[in-house]
Amino acid sequence: MIKEKVTILNENGLHALPASRFVKQAEKFKSDITITKDGVKVSGKSIMGILTLACEKGSIVLLTTDGDDEKEAFEVLKKILEGQD
Amino acid sequence: MAKERILKGIGVSKGICQGEVFVYETKEVKIVQTPIPARYLATEVERFTKALQKTEKELSSIKERINAEIGVDFAQFLDAQILMLKDREIIESVSERIKIEKTNAEYVYHKVLDEYAKKLGASRDQYLRERVADIWDVGMRVLRNLLGMTHSSVVDVPQGSVLVAHDISPSDAALINPNNVLGLAIEVGGRTSHTAITTRALEIPAVVGVENLLAKIKNGEKVILDGNRGILIKSPTPGRIQFYRGEIKKEIEYQKMLSPFCELPAKTRDGRQLDISANIEFFVEYSHAKRSGAMGIGLFRTEFLYLTRRGNPSEEEQFRVYDELAKKMKPDPVIIRTYDLGGDKIFSDYHEANPFLGWRAIRVSLDDFDFFKIQLRAILRASVNRNIRIMYPMISTYEEIQKARVYFKEVTEELKKEKVDFDDHIQVGIMVETPSAAILSNQLAAHVDFFSIGSNDLTQYVLAVDRGNERVSHLFDHFHPAVLRLIKQVIDAGHRSHIWVGLCGELAADPSAIPLLVGLGIDELSMSPVAIPRAKMVLRALTVPECEKIADKALNFRCASEVQKFLNRMIAKKFPGIGGIK
Repeated sequence: MIKEKVTILNENGLHALPASRFVKQAEKFKSDITITKDGVKVSGKSIMGILTLACEKGSIVLLTTDGDDEKEAFEVLKKILEGQD
Repeated sequence: MAKERILKGIGVSKGICQGEVFVYETKEVKIVQTPIPARYLATEVERFTKALQKTEKELSSIKERINAEIGVDFAQFLDAQILMLKDREIIESVSERIKIEKTNAEYVYHKVLDEYAKKLGASRDQYLRERVADIWDVGMRVLRNLLGMTHSSVVDVPQGSVLVAHDISPSDAALINPNNVLGLAIEVGGRTSHTAITTRALEIPAVVGVENLLAKIKNGEKVILDGNRGILIKSPTPGRIQFYRGEIKKEIEYQKMLSPFCELPAKTRDGRQLDISANIEFFVEYSHAKRSGAMGIGLFRTEFLYLTRRGNPSEEEQFRVYDELAKKMKPDPVIIRTYDLGGDKIFSDYHEANPFLGWRAIRVSLDDFDFFKIQLRAILRASVNRNIRIMYPMISTYEEIQKARVYFKEVTEELKKEKVDFDDHIQVGIMVETPSAAILSNQLAAHVDFFSIGSNDLTQYVLAVDRGNERVSHLFDHFHPAVLRLIKQVIDAGHRSHIWVGLCGELAADPSAIPLLVGLGIDELSMSPVAIPRAKMVLRALTVPECEKIADKALNFRCASEVQKFLNRMIAKKFPGIGGIK
């Protein structure tokens, strides 16, 4: 399992379009993916969950990936959160 | 035989059609809680899954239609809706709770959505709060499918229908099939509503703002819809039908007579060349513009980008539309007008008492650089095609031009830093539509690459007349000598500074105005594609000296009706065969 704090650097926070991209990418991986913010944990494969976290630019979240492809998953998803995709 | 009745509205898209009424209604969704016996719980979950699948199909087809209409992948906002629909958290939680609570799918689904909607609705972030509408958009579709409600879909309208509704949502409007829907009449809406824009793009007649329409009309009734006069005729008399048959025939013959002019150059008899270009709102209209013989797009309205969706279009979404249009029109120019709506269209909690004198168009853009920047970047990126021009609407002071220039420069420097290619010599012009810009045009001309006179707003502001107000709209007349004198001033000022001057209001499409405008020295006329062949026909019958004489005389009348009488007489003499060309 990979577990690391990531700062949301995406210009608009993790809003609908980046959130859509995040979920679409997350779904491609077999690993379990979660995002935790302020003690609330949601599935990284659920757009509704992610939206309800209300991640603004600058907020810090805990990204975890757990499974066979956890390494690739973490790399790809971290980039989206950091607005570098 | 039923008695004939004429229902009045506002004609927003021209044309006449005769057909049967198809009433389009979106019924209210009522949710009731029903207990489900244990042995049927699995079936209930399955029913829920099937409703989701059906909804996904619907959303995908809407997305396809919108993309086809706009011509590029613009409907990305529907992707977010599809993801919401397929959201695992929701599906799992609903399926589980159906089983635990032994309750029907509609009730549980509605409750789960409501919880999410409440969470988002309480967010400090406006963007997230607005997503609540998306949740319910998707949710209502699923609930209607669960309840087996036949939402009479716009897609299923039978051939030969006149669509009648209280209102049509943007995503529904995008589904209208012009092969089946002959025309559209709705209770709400105004001249610039989304419906008006869509129907004009589809080239079907439309009448909006018909009060109590649904109470007065029934499914299957025979009607005539007259978009020219803004009326819907219920149970027309044989005499009326006869009259409209004649009208339709005349219209067809008239178009036939005009069609050869599409191909011909826009030149006066003595060789003065004019640029005749097209005003369009939708990407797809470019082909109509080309067919009609337009020499470019003189006004690309970008409002639909903001109206067909919730939230603001991203840079990428805008870029794709601008880039595609530029490619299709190459090498002819495309003038893109920046945001020209009121502030209320993007900031949902913003209202004002006097919108025409309020926070709109360039004023909104200049107050919110983050917002403006997205559009500027998209336009500039598309300018690699080397045929794009930028136009700012509603400029009223020199400082606005200066401020726009500062922002523009900042954006170009950013693009250079990112090594993004754009047209370094892109023309940047302004619409002259406020009295102050017209009066000071000699000062402003040195700071822009062109003027395009927006005659509709200029007339409204100069004459202090709201044309939407029935009691005063008769005072609105773009032939008013006060308006014409200002137009002359603007053209002269532009030419003294060696910039070109165009006109893109309804005046440009009025045949009797063409000799006048040519006489004043206009360089470009931009009009709806349909008016282009007629404008060319008129232009090709004129000479510059006679136009100059006409303009000279027109400017010295006391009132609009004197000008109009004079111009009509002149046109009737010049084109005796045509009688009243519209």
